[in-house]
Amino acid sequence: MPLVTVTLFLPLAGALAVMALRRAPGAVAHGVAVCTSALTLAGALWMWSRGVADTGFTQIEEVQWMPAIGAAYRVGVDGISLPLVLLTAVLFLLTFVFSAGVRERPHTYVVLMLLLETASIGTFTALDAILFYVFFEVSLVSMYFMIAGWGHEDRQRAALMFFIYTLLGSLPLLLAILGLYLGADPHGFDMRAWIDQPPLAGGAAMLALVAMLFTFAVKTPVFPFHTWLPAAHVQAPAAGSVILAGVMLKFGTYGLVRFALQMTPAAFHEAGLVVLAFGVVSALYGAFAALAQNDLKRLVAYTSVNHMGYVVVAVAIAALTLDPALRAVALDGAVLQMVSHGLVTGALFFLVGMLQDRAHTRDMDRFGGLLAVVPLLGWAFVLSAFASLGLPGLAHFPAEFQIFLATLRVEPVAVVVILGIVVTAGLYLKAIRTVFLGEPGDAWRGMADLSLREKLTLAPLLALIVAVGVAPSWVLDVIHRTTATLGLG
Amino acid sequence: MSALATTVLAPLAATAAILLLRRTPAMLALAGTAIGLAASLALLAGTFGGEHTVLTLPGLPGLPLRLLAEPLTAVLSVLVAGVGACVMIYAVGYMKDDPEPVRFFATMTFFLAAMQALVLAGDWLLLLAAWELIGLSSYLLIGFWYRRPGVPAAASRAFLYTRSADLGLYLAVFVLIGTHGGSVIDTSLAGGGPAALAVGLGLLAAAIGKSAQVPLQDWLQRAMAGPTPVSALLHSATLVAAGAILLIRSAPLLPPGALLATGLVGGVTTLITGLVALGEGDLKRLLAASTSSQYGLMLVAVGAGVPLAALAHLLAHATIKSTLFLGAGVFQHARGSTALDALHGAGREHRTVFAGFTLAALALAGIPPLSGFFSKDAVIAAALGSPYAPLLGPLALAGTLLTGAYLARALRILWRGDNRPRPLPGLAWMGTGFTILVALAAALGLAFPALEAAFPVGRLPETAGAQAAGLAAALAGLAAGWWIGGRRLLGPLLGWARRDFAVAGGLDRWILRPALVLAAACERLERKLYHAVLAIGRLGLRVAAAIRLGDERGIDALIFALVRGTVGLGRRLRALQSGLVHRELAITAAGTALLWIALLASAWP
Repeated sequence: MPLVTVTLFLPLAGALAVMALRRAPGAVAHGVAVCTSALTLAGALWMWSRGVADTGFTQIEEVQWMPAIGAAYRVGVDGISLPLVLLTAVLFLLTFVFSAGVRERPHTYVVLMLLLETASIGTFTALDAILFYVFFEVSLVSMYFMIAGWGHEDRQRAALMFFIYTLLGSLPLLLAILGLYLGADPHGFDMRAWIDQPPLAGGAAMLALVAMLFTFAVKTPVFPFHTWLPAAHVQAPAAGSVILAGVMLKFGTYGLVRFALQMTPAAFHEAGLVVLAFGVVSALYGAFAALAQNDLKRLVAYTSVNHMGYVVVAVAIAALTLDPALRAVALDGAVLQMVSHGLVTGALFFLVGMLQDRAHTRDMDRFGGLLAVVPLLGWAFVLSAFASLGLPGLAHFPAEFQIFLATLRVEPVAVVVILGIVVTAGLYLKAIRTVFLGEPGDAWRGMADLSLREKLTLAPLLALIVAVGVAPSWVLDVIHRTTATLGLG
Repeated sequence: MSALATTVLAPLAATAAILLLRRTPAMLALAGTAIGLAASLALLAGTFGGEHTVLTLPGLPGLPLRLLAEPLTAVLSVLVAGVGACVMIYAVGYMKDDPEPVRFFATMTFFLAAMQALVLAGDWLLLLAAWELIGLSSYLLIGFWYRRPGVPAAASRAFLYTRSADLGLYLAVFVLIGTHGGSVIDTSLAGGGPAALAVGLGLLAAAIGKSAQVPLQDWLQRAMAGPTPVSALLHSATLVAAGAILLIRSAPLLPPGALLATGLVGGVTTLITGLVALGEGDLKRLLAASTSSQYGLMLVAVGAGVPLAALAHLLAHATIKSTLFLGAGVFQHARGSTALDALHGAGREHRTVFAGFTLAALALAGIPPLSGFFSKDAVIAAALGSPYAPLLGPLALAGTLLTGAYLARALRILWRGDNRPRPLPGLAWMGTGFTILVALAAALGLAFPALEAAFPVGRLPETAGAQAAGLAAALAGLAAGWWIGGRRLLGPLLGWARRDFAVAGGLDRWILRPALVLAAACERLERKLYHAVLAIGRLGLRVAAAIRLGDERGIDALIFALVRGTVGLGRRLRALQSGLVHRELAITAAGTALLWIALLASAWP
């Protein structure tokens, strides 16, 4: 059975089903979405159980498409993409559970989200550059309509900004892909061939790298190309924020590894210090900018810049080092950090959304003492916040530990980035203190604690955060099989 | 299951059971703690019989987690479990009327599990993880009464201060893993490597944060906002002890420069926080300052190259300080406050508790034959016998003198004044935990010879001169504290001591405020970037608008003009087609004539 393909297109099939059922009540649409994404998750788990190969890709499925230009439908996974596929399937299922209460145009909402799920899984599983680019762009369209249609007060502007920013940002990638195509012998868009034998060298490779770096820097996002992120997050609906931060930001760092690092390794090695500097500045800048926020959602958004900055640092370190063992440590950290960030930031955006649903504000200063009023919500936030600030036993610690370890050993100066963990500690403690501790204000005394739907959304995420933190080996073993043998060039 | 695993897992299982069952939390906590204590005693018996056990667990690729039972770790484990058990018994009484016992006992047992993982850690990764987890537990416990004003700030401060210092531990661990190719603590104890001094200073920085040493001392006094059993545990065998424990364990790898730094930090801390304790107006805060001061003495011993003396003082101090806190908790329940002004005569109301409190105080001051005498004597002898004796010796003696002085001052306040004995709820439980600890505080010195026997590497230093000097300093301090009092002893330093000897606004001014300023600057830049992007967007719109205008005024206008012209021409031409035969005949004739003229004109050469 073509398991990857089935998993990939299940959400699309669900979307078509919802379109066919557009006269049915909204509950049916939500039901179809939850079932489809549950099946998708089952598919992802099945893929997980099949595992990855010691070298290169596995579970490959290939169909001829445009043989004249060497483009084909090719999908498959390795230890870098498989954890991200699983993360995507988990987050989408929980998002559908969470947004089962959406009453506003539920059919369109569900169709867009299912389309987005296929696009996201496609981005991670595509092994053909054209296919990758198509999925990469389709995800933009769905997210644009999500923000514009179901966002908050200033959504039109934010949606447009997001769309134009990331669309313009992805054009250089197209040029780089064309460059790689022309450099490849024989011409073709098979990403595996590009990885096995990097088609470009010298100045051409550097140009392609710069183009790709620009695209992925916008997507990740890296300072100073990150300004779309807080705007989009603040305006996006909670579910949109979860997917945007939890899944779509990973397109940038995944591309950084898959394209920039694996297809132009020599050029990346040369430019490694520059990328490293961007990563360090981005991580620290994100942390300090988050510290200055009063809007809870913006705060979480900026910590994404911080956490994704660590990933950029790790990839740069992997490019700089010539020691395969150290490169594996850095990449293990980078990939695990993507997974952890998806889980933790997903939980945080859900929680902020739940708070906003209740209070209709995100201004931290207006809250206070909520732990006594909504203890479950409060403790869930405390747990997620401590996970986000890198506490051992929770998801970010094993990832960040490996990233910092590799950084210190390859480029000791760059370990200054570790200051970020103190700043994030400070800002989350401040957030917890102002929102949840102290005596509850009168306005919030009647606030209801988590509903069943919200508990079902959060419990799996929190359990996964602890599971990755306490015993990271179940994820790391998969990642490490690929990174340990990742030959560059 | 091995005793090694049980030591950590028993309290952890208690945490899980308390959270799941949500009933009889106190009894579950006691059971978990008792099983853990039994396991760690078994561990101790085993290691003193020469048995070393290692338990390896999966961790990160190439960096497995290890639990290790050897004499040092087993002794520390028994200390944690023993003091933990006494405090837990006491807490059953202390928390009798609190509405949230589930949260309290779950956190306490989690705290014990994390601390056991820390002392039994056989690799740096597990040690670092446990190190941060005790920080979390302390945050949750200090902030237990989170609705009270001041409590959230105190909890946040404790976590933030210790975490900032933890960066030192992170860096040291990274360098050690890089140098020794793995994270096993024992192999890295050989020391050496290019960055040995950096490692030593990193470890010292982490210890400064956790053990509340200068300049990071002030979070500990504010941490008194938590329930008293928490303070008793924090100060004696867990959070604050972790710093000293780290240095005792890693002492073999510290190069001379790091040792000197450790000794100096400890010496300065013992002096400064001793003075702070002398001027303090609150019993629990006085005890907190005293804690910093005593850990300062332990750092002096490590710096002098005799970690065994530091270990002895750590053990003695753990029993003594938890006794003192538990006693203070009884007085606090009696008077509803821990301000010294409110406690005048509280000791006379509860004479038995006061007797135990006094015994512990005398032990801490270093009066023979109580435990503190032996350990403090060893610290002073180590300081006087070290290569840095001129620096460390006077500091250690000054610390001893101050210890006597602030304790005598507290005793006098508790004894003198009005008193009206009242019954206290929960006193039976509180008394039981308290009594065991008093006995330990008094008699622990008897166990030191056994401790020396278990560590073949060194013996507790002991010289007649050090004993005489230490005893003289202790007695002088006690006398001065009782008869002269703290304020007069401090004289002009009083105001500064009350401000915690903060230099130019202290750390808040030097670290916190710059961080916030930087954050605000980032935010300003952020707005500028945002507006710049919007401006670019607006520029795009302007260009578009200009093009549209160009289209409308230029091309469109041209096309429309053309259209209008054509239509107008058509309208005029239509006038010619009138349908009147005579007029059309005339037009035809004129047209033919024109044609002829044109043809003729063109044929003309």
